[in-house]
Amino acid sequence: MRLKYLETNYIPLLITLFLLAAGCKKEEYALPTPKDVLQNDCIKRTLGPNIVGQNIEFAYAMAILPEKGKLVSAQVEASIAGASGTFLENRSFYTENNGVDSGIVVGDASVTQSTTTIVTFNKDTSAATLRYYYTIPEEARGKSVSFTFSAKSSDGETVSYKMGPYTIAKMDMVRNLSVKDGAACYISIADMAVYDATTAAANAGKIDLVYLYRSIPDISFNHALVSPAADAQYLPGVTLPAGINNSTLMRKVFNLQDYNLAQLQYGIYIDDLDFQKLDLSGAPNYAINLKAEAGAWVQTADGKYKAYIFINSVNNSQKSAVISIKRYTL
Amino acid sequence: MKKYIKILFCCLIATMVYTGCKKDYPVDEDGLLITTRQECYVSNFELLGTDFVTVRTKTAEIDTVAQTIKVEVQFGTDLKNLYPQFSLASDAKLDPKITGKVDFSDTTHPKIYTVVSGDRKIRKPYTVYISVQH
Repeated sequence: MRLKYLETNYIPLLITLFLLAAGCKKEEYALPTPKDVLQNDCIKRTLGPNIVGQNIEFAYAMAILPEKGKLVSAQVEASIAGASGTFLENRSFYTENNGVDSGIVVGDASVTQSTTTIVTFNKDTSAATLRYYYTIPEEARGKSVSFTFSAKSSDGETVSYKMGPYTIAKMDMVRNLSVKDGAACYISIADMAVYDATTAAANAGKIDLVYLYRSIPDISFNHALVSPAADAQYLPGVTLPAGINNSTLMRKVFNLQDYNLAQLQYGIYIDDLDFQKLDLSGAPNYAINLKAEAGAWVQTADGKYKAYIFINSVNNSQKSAVISIKRYTL
Repeated sequence: MKKYIKILFCCLIATMVYTGCKKDYPVDEDGLLITTRQECYVSNFELLGTDFVTVRTKTAEIDTVAQTIKVEVQFGTDLKNLYPQFSLASDAKLDPKITGKVDFSDTTHPKIYTVVSGDRKIRKPYTVYISVQH
C-alpha cells in the first residue's frame, strides 16, 4: 500500500524534475563542418511578371574548400536563348556594412553562345556569387523558360542547380511616354505610341485615345483620356484629325501603382491574369479628372487589346503628363 | 466515488436549467438581430466611382421628413457604375441590399431604397436624386 502511495505521488514529480533538468541543459555550440565537395545555390531576385524585354535576375553562389581546389568556371543554360543584353556577371558581390552591394572581379567577361552563358574564373576563387541577367526575348512570349546553373572546380568536380520553369507573360509594356495637350496627344494602344495630329491622321484607325487638359471653372476636368468617339462635351475645343473615331472602353482606377509602370515602392503587379479577368462591358469611353498615380483600364474598340494606362506624373502649367502602358493582346 | 457522481449530476442539471431558461434573441431572415429600436432614417450618404473615390461635389442633402437624398456628382461621372454607401440609424437595415455597382443613369426613374428599423416594423423608402454638375 505504501509503495503504491509513493508511486502515485512521487513518480510524476520525479519525471517533471527530470524533464526540467533536461530542458535546461546547455548545448555547446560547435562550428558546422563544411561539406568537402563543390556546392552551389541559387535564388531568383526579380519579382512579378516576366515581361518580354525586361530582365530576370538570379544570384548564383558556388563554393569549394580551398584545400580541395578552386573554381574554374560558371555557366548558365537557358531553355530559350536570351535576348541581347543577357549576361553573367564576372564580379562576385558582397554586401557592405552600409548595405551597398559591392562587386569584385573574379573572372573574364561572360561569353554567350546560343543558350549558354559562361564565365571563366581568372582569380584564385574558392567561393563566389555571380548575378545572371536574362533579357527575355520575343520568342519566349507566352512560353516557359527554365535555367540550369552549373559550376566547375579545378579538382574536376561539376555541380548544377535547376531554376524554373518561369512563365513569360504575354503582355507588352512601354514606359514614360510624354503626352501634351494639343501636340503629342493621340495615343495608339496598337502601336503603344503617342502621335501628334499629323502622324495620327496617317494612323487614324489605330488612335484609341486623346489626351487633353482643361482647367474649367467649377468643373473638375483637369487631365483626361478620352475616346475620339466620346460625347463632344468630353472633348472641349478638340478638333480631331479626319478618320479618327474609335470608341475605347475605359474604367478609372486609383491606388493601382503597378511596380513595373510606376517604378515606385509599391509591390503591386499587373499580370496577364488581370487582363484575362477584366470585364469592361458597360464602361464609359472617357476618363476625366485623372491625377498623378491614377490610371485607367482600357479595351480597344476592335476588341483586340486590353491595357492599363498609368499616369506617372502630371504638369498642369505645361498641360502635359507622363504615362506608362501595359498591354495584353486578346 | 458516489460523491463524485452526485456532484457531476448536479452540475449537469444546473447547466440544463441555465440553458433552458436562457432568453432566445430573435433574428431576421438575414441573421441580423431584431432589437427594440424604432429609429428609421439615413444619416449619411456617399457615392463612389469605379476608382472608389467619391464623385460627390458636396455633401448629400438628406431630408428625413420628405425621405429624399439629393446628391450632385462631378461632371463626367459615369452614372452606370457607382457604388452607393448608406449610413443608417442603429440596428436599421437597407432594402434592397447593395451588393455591388448600381446603375443610376436613369434619372427619370430615381432609385428607391427602403430603411427598415431595428424592430423591423417601420419601413421608410428614401428616393435618391442624382444631378450631374454642369
